[in-house]
Amino acid sequence: MPKFIYIIFGLMTCFWSAFAQEWKAPEEEKENVSIRLFDNEIETEGGVLFMNSCKSCHGSPTQEDFSLMLPSPGDLASAKVQNQTDGELFYKIRAGKGAMPKFGDALDQNEIWSLIAYVRSFNESYKQPEPNLEGVVIPNITLNLSFDDNVDKLVVKTLDENGNPMPDVTVKAFVKGHFGNYLLGKSRCNELGIAYFDIDSKMPGDEEGNMDIIVKASKGFGSAKVTQKMRVVDAVSFKSAIEGRHLWSVSKRAPYWLIVTFLSSLIGIWGTIIYVIVGLPKIKKQS
Amino acid sequence: MMDSAEKSFKKVERDLLASVNWGVKSKVWMGFLLLLLVVCLFYYVKQLRNGLGVTGLNDIVSWGVYISNFVFFVAASLIGMLISSVLGLIGFKWITPILRIAEIIAVSFAMVAGLIIITDMGRPERLLNVFIFGRIQSPIIWDIVVVMTYVVISLLLLYVPLIPDIALCKDKKKGVPAFQRWIYKVLSLGFTYKPNQFKLVEKYIRILAVLIIPVALAIHTVTSWLFAMTLRAGWDTSIFGPYFVSGAFVAGCAAVIIAMYFFRKSYNLQDYITDSHFNKMGKLLVMVALIYVYFNINELLVAAYKLKSGEAEHLQSILWGHGSPMFWLVQIGGLVIPFVLLIIPKMRKPLPSLIISIVILVAAWYKRYVIVIPVQEHPFLPVQNVPDYYSHYTPTLPEIAITIAPFILVLIIMTVLSKVFPVVSVWEAKESSVEEQNR
Ligand code: HEC
Repeated sequence: MPKFIYIIFGLMTCFWSAFAQEWKAPEEEKENVSIRLFDNEIETEGGVLFMNSCKSCHGSPTQEDFSLMLPSPGDLASAKVQNQTDGELFYKIRAGKGAMPKFGDALDQNEIWSLIAYVRSFNESYKQPEPNLEGVVIPNITLNLSFDDNVDKLVVKTLDENGNPMPDVTVKAFVKGHFGNYLLGKSRCNELGIAYFDIDSKMPGDEEGNMDIIVKASKGFGSAKVTQKMRVVDAVSFKSAIEGRHLWSVSKRAPYWLIVTFLSSLIGIWGTIIYVIVGLPKIKKQS
Repeated sequence: MMDSAEKSFKKVERDLLASVNWGVKSKVWMGFLLLLLVVCLFYYVKQLRNGLGVTGLNDIVSWGVYISNFVFFVAASLIGMLISSVLGLIGFKWITPILRIAEIIAVSFAMVAGLIIITDMGRPERLLNVFIFGRIQSPIIWDIVVVMTYVVISLLLLYVPLIPDIALCKDKKKGVPAFQRWIYKVLSLGFTYKPNQFKLVEKYIRILAVLIIPVALAIHTVTSWLFAMTLRAGWDTSIFGPYFVSGAFVAGCAAVIIAMYFFRKSYNLQDYITDSHFNKMGKLLVMVALIYVYFNINELLVAAYKLKSGEAEHLQSILWGHGSPMFWLVQIGGLVIPFVLLIIPKMRKPLPSLIISIVILVAAWYKRYVIVIPVQEHPFLPVQNVPDYYSHYTPTLPEIAITIAPFILVLIIMTVLSKVFPVVSVWEAKESSVEEQNR
């Protein structure tokens, strides 16, 4: 009996969610647009985010390989999604609903816009709407990086155009790597316009301990990015993998123990052989 | 007393020197072998022209029957050491009549083993580069050095005990071709049966008998290291050295029994190589087979218990996958059943032990195949972006012919040696007949 009730209940929730009324964005958010241009850089940024946060449910856009759930997450390159305005998509990603997580907490505005830029890149007929910048103040952020070697922290100061500290700026710091950037952290400036990032002094830099530090900052519609070579980690002395005497080195760099064993066995055995060969003619002398 | 000794000396000489000649039969046999060799050489020329592409080798399985054949030949040659030095030094007298047969087997298999390696080279004319640019860290260099050393010591261990017999041939065999007489003259080193000369000969035999033990162990241990020192599931085991050595004794004992049978039969040596020799060789074979079975279990079970990922794939393919029929046939049919049969005294008579030994020797060849090839079909790195047939290996016709050639060469060397020199040591046979009479 209880089982039966569970089944009915389960089916009901399924139907309810499947036929639930369409997911609509509030009118006032529909017309929001990005003030950043959807260029290659922002698209790749969004692509990386998409891989990490969205692909598990939505699959790769245009591939129709989204996971099976109810309601269906759907392919984000589908007409159903692409026919919506940027503002609607922004709202849905920010607010979430049911199984669709609420990303507003996890991602900042710029990141959500970069996701939209990425999703839009699969739509050839898409034209990015011109932002209406009337009355919008775009903060001009200047970044100032320094390294505090007492506590191994990267110190990021954010300043406005007048050189005064700018609080409440979202700041992300990376280390530039060979195949992409390594995220040091994400933080928000305090009221003095300062954000700190821990740096592990064991990270591999160059011979002088330099690393390329990338810092990105954003507040409202304003953003800034600097790349700076800084001495932040211990100096590394690079060693050739075949330096010294090793089994895997060239013959000249064979380990001493091997040379000694090899040659002494060789000399011992061949010495004995030669002793016998040289001794054999003695047989004639004995006759 | 003296008289009867004199008489038995005469009989010994007559019996044992009888085979030193070139009769019609032996000429026909040699002609047949040479003809076969020419056919095989034809395929080798083909391989020289077109490279290793004529073989079934590929990127994945790059060691095929050439290498497993090489391992087999090195294995068979090891028996010289076990019989002529280990058993000899311990003081077993019964081995005297079969000493030389064991040594002939050792010499011919070891010499040809070196040639087999060359057939596995696509550009043999670059052989010298191995010596010029070889690294002493590489087991391949150790192998080359130790094979050459072993050939030299084996040759000496065949030659030094032969000196008195060569002198005898020089005196008694006047009818042989002039060239052969000249060889006798040079090689007899002016031996005149003086006690001091015998003393010298015996001293050098003793030195060589001791020297060959470490070298023989080294030759097959290093051969096993060619495998064990690479990063491959299935070869990556610490028991590989002793495993190879014990397997070598199994193959070698079988080879000696087969050779004993045919030499005894065609050279009428029934009085010297007796049923008792077959009996004792049979027992020796049982003993070494038991050791080998033990190592086999050890080698397999330790890996099969843990089933590390790479190991698992390899084991499943040889234990119940597509390589399993050959594996079980070789292990059960070619090792366990034969040695269990040999425990029965009747089976150690010449004919049954011949048949059992042939089965063991053939299985020993296939065993090397099972050791060398299936492992390469399961490398640690995944096999990607190659046609499917790449990961399976089947030897081609030229490859098979070039693999048969070494056997023919071994038979040729054995025939020549046994036709030019007595296969049973005459002076040692005389010595033991004296000992028998004094008893
Ligand atoms: C746990 C699975 C899951 C993850 C992760 C997820 N989504 Fe969703 N998403 C859904 C589901 C389920 C829906 C459908 C919700 C509904 O219609 O009720 C949805 C709906 C959407 C919609 C609206 C589609 C429409 O048809 O209106 C957008 C846009 C969207 N997701 C974008 C994203 C983005 C961008 C990310 C990554 C930051 C993401 N989603 C991550 C499950 C997920």
